[in-house]
Amino acid sequence: MSDLFSNLALGFHVVFQFVPWSPAWLGGVSIPIPANILLCLIGALVGTLVGVLPGIGTIATVAMLLPITFGLPPVGALIMLAGIYYGAQYGGSTTSILVNIPGEATSVVTTLDGFQMAKQGRAGPALAIAAIGSFFAGCVSTVLIAVLGAPLTKLALAFGPAEYFSLMVLGLIFATVLAKGSVLKAIAMIVFGLLLSMVGSDIETGASRMAFNIPELADGLGFATVAMGVFGFAEIIRNLDAGAEMDRDLVQQKITGLMPTKKDMIDSAPAIVRGTILGSILGILPGGGAVIASFAAYTFEKKIAKDPSRFGRGAIEGVAAPESANNAAAQTSFIPLLTLGIPPNAVMALMVGAMTIHGIVPGPQVMQKQPELVWGMIASMWVGNLMLIIINLPLVGIWVRLLRVPYRLMFPSIVIFCAIGIYSINNAPVDVILAGAFGLLGYWLIKHDFEPAPLLLGMVLGPLMEENLRRALLISRGDATVFFTRPLSAVLMATAAFLLVLALLPSLRKKRDEVFVESET
Amino acid sequence: MSDTPSHGPNLGPVKYIMPKWIRGPQDFVGGIALIAIALFALWASSDLQGMHGFSFGAGTAPRMFAVLLLGLGIAVTIVGLVTEGAHLATYAWRGPLFVSLSILSFAITIRPLGLVISAFATFLISALGTHETRWKETIIVGIALTAFCSFLFPYGLGLPMQLWPRFLVQ
Repeated sequence: MSDLFSNLALGFHVVFQFVPWSPAWLGGVSIPIPANILLCLIGALVGTLVGVLPGIGTIATVAMLLPITFGLPPVGALIMLAGIYYGAQYGGSTTSILVNIPGEATSVVTTLDGFQMAKQGRAGPALAIAAIGSFFAGCVSTVLIAVLGAPLTKLALAFGPAEYFSLMVLGLIFATVLAKGSVLKAIAMIVFGLLLSMVGSDIETGASRMAFNIPELADGLGFATVAMGVFGFAEIIRNLDAGAEMDRDLVQQKITGLMPTKKDMIDSAPAIVRGTILGSILGILPGGGAVIASFAAYTFEKKIAKDPSRFGRGAIEGVAAPESANNAAAQTSFIPLLTLGIPPNAVMALMVGAMTIHGIVPGPQVMQKQPELVWGMIASMWVGNLMLIIINLPLVGIWVRLLRVPYRLMFPSIVIFCAIGIYSINNAPVDVILAGAFGLLGYWLIKHDFEPAPLLLGMVLGPLMEENLRRALLISRGDATVFFTRPLSAVLMATAAFLLVLALLPSLRKKRDEVFVESET
Repeated sequence: MSDTPSHGPNLGPVKYIMPKWIRGPQDFVGGIALIAIALFALWASSDLQGMHGFSFGAGTAPRMFAVLLLGLGIAVTIVGLVTEGAHLATYAWRGPLFVSLSILSFAITIRPLGLVISAFATFLISALGTHETRWKETIIVGIALTAFCSFLFPYGLGLPMQLWPRFLVQ
């Protein structure tokens, strides 16, 4: 317990640190600024912005901002990127409620009851409950990360290469089972991602693999390049298909009475708690993440409600539960990343990219060797959540006004930002062309209903998986049964196999699709 | 999808291109493409060293994953053959073409012409991607954004980037 407090104290110390800042144009004068707090604020603001704007997703944004974080210290960079992720969960709800447009996939279900509430003139309470629920979930999951962090790290340190490999297999299987769409196609995407990660020189022998003597490919495909291609560019091209003029029915009336009534509070309090619990669990599970958490929380509320017919007609629980769940899941999905070094979803995969850029190899040793990094980030989440409540509630009018920026002006801006961002990583024009090619590939994938997120996950985990597989087999002298004879590894593998079988069973597949069905009705 | 079907007679409903016995053309074609990718990877990694003794060669893992992808590709193809599924989606040409062109133009011009010209040209070319573009506002926003980027990246973030054409700077 005392460990926990000293860790959190260290974290807050890092967050509130003042660092001297001496920009060239001040002529050598250095002024102390609270850099990490400012970066947290920037992250939260940018996150809210992309959450509000439909047509630009969290993954694309984090990918776009990766190059910008090069010049920052690692703690600051990660604090900012994390802020974008959970900030987007807040922002997404705003547009769901006010204009029936989910800014993020995680807020799709919020539109069902949130927009109905807005139509009934109760937009204020809906927004307030969404923010309060998110804040509560944010606080709980911050504590959860702090509590679970240390023990899980200890467990992870006991892992050998065989266990690590099995854990990654389990994580990837989870990612496909909990995602929307065909399990088979998701696995195919993961393997495709693994293959892409092999391009470039081999870590151990240095041999050039599948690079065709193209010097730019010798170091492998840039992770940010692929991410910006399949998420940034492909999204734009896809959105253009539908016509740039998206249907934006703004609720024009002024939002009055932000405060929810006492009855609203009583109705939504248990829903917030349930949503938080469900979201926290689904977030920790690899592959879970915020999208399924929000859907599952909504379905759950509807199932246990005394009068399910209220849902879809402005039930406040239908806003409270999914909004708490998505925020809780967004934050607890940091747990596998920080303790095991395994990214559970595509955004976390990008965080791995950010860490590697700064020379940090994610894994259990990070928490021991660089505690200020991990705890600083955890503490920043709580601070960031506090900021988000302020950013979102009083300033809601500003965010809604942003929706009037037409997509026809937004998309060329995103193209430029992505292009400059990719170019700045290596100052290599070839990278920009590669990202463009991956954009077309991503467009094709979307057209054939292949999810690009598992591809990214496979690409990040590829080198790690190969390394651990190699080592495990070297240690066992080529005996492949090592994955099933070491107890911990065997349990992980068995769970993975069990999950896969479950997911392929028709009856269960139906149940799984039911969770997502709300979005289509 | 709004403007796709109206361009040319050969772009009519795509679903008739596939024979009737393929019940899920979307998965069928997707699976075939995966098989092609896997075969390509197998070919590309064929010159790499395989296992020697207990240790992996450079080519072991790529071949392993390629074979796995081959199997999955075949499975997806079969699913596309035997189960009722979605038809091929229609592709728009305008968005992909101009967005790709703008990316390409950025890659080609950033070195010789510098950020200012390159970014502005990229903005205008990508704006061609939709017929809804209104040129007056696009040019104004383009200028503003170019100015913003020219400040943010080289000065705000300290990234080494040339602003003006090379021949002017000299």
